[in-house]
Amino acid sequence: MAEIPQVLFKNRKPDRVLSLEEYREMGGYEALRKCVGGGLPPKEVTRIVTEADLRGRGGAGFPAGKKWEAVPDSGDFPRYLVANADEMEPGTFKDRMLIHVNPHAIIEGMILTAYAFSGSKGFFFVRPSYESSAFILERELAFAKEAGFLGKNILGSDFSFDIVVHRSGGRYICGEASALLNAIMGKRPNPVKPPPYPTVRGLWDKPTVVNNVETLANVPYILRNGPEWFKGLAVGANGAGTKIFAVSGRVVSPGAVELPMGTRLSEIIDVHCGGMLPGSEFKACLPGGASTRFLAKEHYDVRMDFDGLRAVGNRLGTGAIMVFDHKTCLVGATLNMMEFFARESCGWCTPCREGLPYMRDLLRRIESGEGRAEYIPLLKTLCGEVWNAYCALAPGAAEPVVSLLQFFEEEVREHIARKGCPFHA
Amino acid sequence: MPRLVIDDREIEVPEGTKVIDAAGRLGIMIPRFCYHEALGAVGACRMCAVKFLQGPFKGVQMSCMVDAKDGMVVSTTDAEAVAFRKWVIEWLMKNHPHDCPVCDEGGHCLLQDETVSSDHSRRRFLGSKRTYRDQYLGPYVQHEMNRCIHCYRCSRFYREYAGYRDLGAMQIADKVYFGRFRDGRLESPFSGNLVDLCPTGVYTDKTSRFKVRRWDLERAPSVCIGCSLGCNTVAGAQFRAVLRIEARTNPDVNGHFICDAGRFGYSYTNGGAGFRQRPREPMAAGAGIGREGALERAFGALEEVARKYGPESVAALGSDRNSVETQCALKKMCAAKGYLPPVFFLDPAARRKTCEAVARLDERIAFSRSELESADFVIIAGADPLNEAAMSALALRQAFRKGGRIVVIDPRPVSMPFDFEHIPVVPEAIPRIFGMIVANSIPGEGGGLDANAGKFLRKLDRRSEDATLQSRIEDLAAGLAAAKRPAIVCGTGIVDETTPAFAADCALLLYRAGKRAGVFYVLPGANSYSSAVLSENDGRTFADILEAMEGGSVRALVVVENDLFRNFPDTRRLEEALARLELLIVIDYLPTGLENRASVFFPSSTAFETGSTFINQEGRAQFAHPVHAGGVPILGGSPEHVFRPDVPGGGQKPAWSILHGLETGLSGSGGISAEEIIASHPAFGAIAPLRYPVDGVRVIPVQSKEEFTSQSVSGGEPAPPRGLRLLLVDWMFGTGEISAYSDTLLESIPEPVLTMHSADAERAGLLDGQEVALRLEGGTVEVRLRVTEKMAEGVILLPRHQNLRWQKIRGFPALIDPERIAAL
Repeated sequence: MAEIPQVLFKNRKPDRVLSLEEYREMGGYEALRKCVGGGLPPKEVTRIVTEADLRGRGGAGFPAGKKWEAVPDSGDFPRYLVANADEMEPGTFKDRMLIHVNPHAIIEGMILTAYAFSGSKGFFFVRPSYESSAFILERELAFAKEAGFLGKNILGSDFSFDIVVHRSGGRYICGEASALLNAIMGKRPNPVKPPPYPTVRGLWDKPTVVNNVETLANVPYILRNGPEWFKGLAVGANGAGTKIFAVSGRVVSPGAVELPMGTRLSEIIDVHCGGMLPGSEFKACLPGGASTRFLAKEHYDVRMDFDGLRAVGNRLGTGAIMVFDHKTCLVGATLNMMEFFARESCGWCTPCREGLPYMRDLLRRIESGEGRAEYIPLLKTLCGEVWNAYCALAPGAAEPVVSLLQFFEEEVREHIARKGCPFHA
Repeated sequence: MPRLVIDDREIEVPEGTKVIDAAGRLGIMIPRFCYHEALGAVGACRMCAVKFLQGPFKGVQMSCMVDAKDGMVVSTTDAEAVAFRKWVIEWLMKNHPHDCPVCDEGGHCLLQDETVSSDHSRRRFLGSKRTYRDQYLGPYVQHEMNRCIHCYRCSRFYREYAGYRDLGAMQIADKVYFGRFRDGRLESPFSGNLVDLCPTGVYTDKTSRFKVRRWDLERAPSVCIGCSLGCNTVAGAQFRAVLRIEARTNPDVNGHFICDAGRFGYSYTNGGAGFRQRPREPMAAGAGIGREGALERAFGALEEVARKYGPESVAALGSDRNSVETQCALKKMCAAKGYLPPVFFLDPAARRKTCEAVARLDERIAFSRSELESADFVIIAGADPLNEAAMSALALRQAFRKGGRIVVIDPRPVSMPFDFEHIPVVPEAIPRIFGMIVANSIPGEGGGLDANAGKFLRKLDRRSEDATLQSRIEDLAAGLAAAKRPAIVCGTGIVDETTPAFAADCALLLYRAGKRAGVFYVLPGANSYSSAVLSENDGRTFADILEAMEGGSVRALVVVENDLFRNFPDTRRLEEALARLELLIVIDYLPTGLENRASVFFPSSTAFETGSTFINQEGRAQFAHPVHAGGVPILGGSPEHVFRPDVPGGGQKPAWSILHGLETGLSGSGGISAEEIIASHPAFGAIAPLRYPVDGVRVIPVQSKEEFTSQSVSGGEPAPPRGLRLLLVDWMFGTGEISAYSDTLLESIPEPVLTMHSADAERAGLLDGQEVALRLEGGTVEVRLRVTEKMAEGVILLPRHQNLRWQKIRGFPALIDPERIAAL
């Protein structure tokens, strides 16, 4: 496995973070010296990142450079950057791993990103259950500041930037960019529909860029090694860079692995995670967190990148792979996720606030043996109707249900016919 | 102007119109819960879904979130959209209790209407219903959260629109709760609007709870007479009682809302507590005598006095509470009989301030309340908007939300639900300071201005001796210079006599300097405009009448709807003067106490019982339609089962009709005609006879005769006064004339306090919260002291509080030696 390029996880220590010195020995903060210290025009930074085709690692896959470009030249000051580490998508733990492995890559990425659109203040938006991550970040930020990478006139330039760690209130919806901004401002974290986009009017009505931490961590490496290098990291024609896959479920060695974008699912499970547990057969997996669809066995060889998954009607999401074996009840798994989404709805719009509990009730009844045949078409209708919700939470919540009924309808029918869960017999 | 097609009908709407409003213009009511014209679109309820067939959007979209664009083809009846809306209703009804039969909202409930119209009649959902604990929200608003459909209108209004923080959304998902952090009365004096805004019965009117079904109410458009703004309302009555006041939408006046004092302060018309306070039958010397007898007695006695001492020995006093009809009838009676012309003001200062304000209002600079909402720089000069005209504070909040900058120049500790700058100074310093702000906002000597405006500008002071104040003024002037639609809000209460006219001239100067500038006066009462117009050429006030009463030249007095003992600052003098009269005729609907002193008392109708016109502070004539016939309410007991031809307790008549009787000696329904009203004053020409009663016509001239004639206020800082100047102030609750007789408002009335600056208090050795005795010339007032730094030094503030006998003041300005305030 020596040929697998490691970028973010290079030199990963089993029990501690990479220190500032270790990071610098590996070439860390050189990109910052080159760009900010060397006076590379901010537009050039954006151009390189755009050319590298760095797409958002938080789930939506929006090109990072395009997002920065959306901050208008005439935009107001001060401008803000938010690193989204509110990782609450069930099954996802890549951001946490990254913070605990290589925090300075994120910090340097933030400084460079802020430089690209003239941001002057950064927020690290951290999920409250990641208190240890917040602690690490605050400590490492102080080291970076001591070394002159943060604060006023960074590396002698006229660029000043500082970062504060903001502990989230701890709700799933806070990870949605516009709700996250409301949360930082002390408001109710309800999403707000654009326009105006946060890049035009975000925090306190000033231009604000929100990026996932994994996206930001890639930025220094792209600027150090160039866009062609970054594109070359991926396997397959589409995609660029590496991706941290957070694998959980019925595999021999679950965990976070950094692999080239486009690595096949089969390879991830069989090679990098030691295969399925003894006595377990692959039944399905969620490829990118709880708001993506089940991938059935027929797609076992799919390429894990944005386009590969779109081709099979799915999404890469966060790259959190949850593996289910043939002994796992998918109705129960879906219900479990629906319990989460119905609980985590922000309560703003009717389809999400009331529609998800409606679906949850139907799933609970099917799982507990009170299901009826008409619940299947009813669930299918509801999956369609919740698409008219305000934000993407409810449509995302419907995804596991949609695929449950698409690939595993028989299993649902069996629940109804046997008046109970066949796996709990 | 985009053109689009909605349900096969084409319409052209202004750029920026939402599709939901474009449909509204075609008469298509797209169902909605969260969308409200005043609160805007937020897309929460998803009820206004329609299908976009052509144009930049396709498929089911929320019509409140999409701007109308050229080429859109929209269907509100498309099967997909209808099916989705039906789902929204099913989702909402999943938790809604089926308690319509006992819900006060039943019958006028948006949720009920839209549930029925979406054909949702059976609950398919088998899960249990969510339940909440309700909160106590004070005496006005009943809370029943189980009915909530989470449209967020309440928290959006309460927090964003009105600027109060104690009610809002809590929790998430299907547990979202709208309420306070704990039980307690709502802090906002605009809380009653929650009742109107809530699309179902979460917030209902507690004062009318369980008393009446909406469809049983006799309802009519009415006008609030609580202050000078004239907010539009709908009054509803049943069983001879007014039971509910709702806000009536008028974009020019009150928008969609009204204040709590106006909404809940109606019970005076029913007789207050137990319905027993209101005098309902004609009386002579405190004993009932019947309508005919009263008229005979009063007419005869007036003739007698006129014969014995000449008709000019008869004087008449009206008030701001009179309708235009009543004031004109009073004027007509006095003229016909040769009596002294009626007076409407108690003292010359009040008359002059109101008259000068009214004389300056014209089409160029008179700002309506809605124009105030879009002002980008507001100078509030000698006004306390929340206390003197509450809905103007809500308008100012909207100006603030749109980015407007607001500065208050007033001695009082003014409080409003938004951020503003406050320069607390004594009343005599107010005009100079805002004059300096205006002067400094116009560069140089005002080149380009016409001669009069330039001359006025040059007369204004530009520099203050106080360096801190000067830099503040310059900063404000820079803001004003950049403003396009500045407004000056000017009070007529605590300000000096020349201030209102000066405010108009400053507004006019800004107008001449190319701004869309305006002035917004706060007048003393509901019909002050008309009082001023009718006193235009007559400088006399009640002060003159009183002297004549004391001198013996006035022997008879007709008081029409004036709570003299409340309003007149010197009770003892008033009592002595009244005792000298040979004849006192009182016409009123309030139990002012005068009814028992009167030789003859006539009960008059309230605005709910007779059609009456009131002219608000911007000169807008509005008509309050009669709601019901009046009489003793029969609520709370079984009505008397007696056949009788009249209404029990229905002895009241409109004041103008009573005055007609006093003029002619004839009973009956005669009164005053539209022609006679118009003939009373040229301003009333706007009330064209064919269109009487008018509603919403401004009677102000295109251009006022007065321009840049106000007294100059230059000449340096005013000398510090010797002693503390006593200012009588109004509060939103507790000082109003009619609200004193509305028991519904009792719980809102705070304890009276004398307010003084902490530096003054320290000098006088007084402490916050102490009971103090304020020795006035006419006696002592015992009151609690409140000390604050947020007010001007050199003044003390005493509310005209209903629970305080403050009427012991001999003359104004009342300067109080600090020695005369002592701790008890």
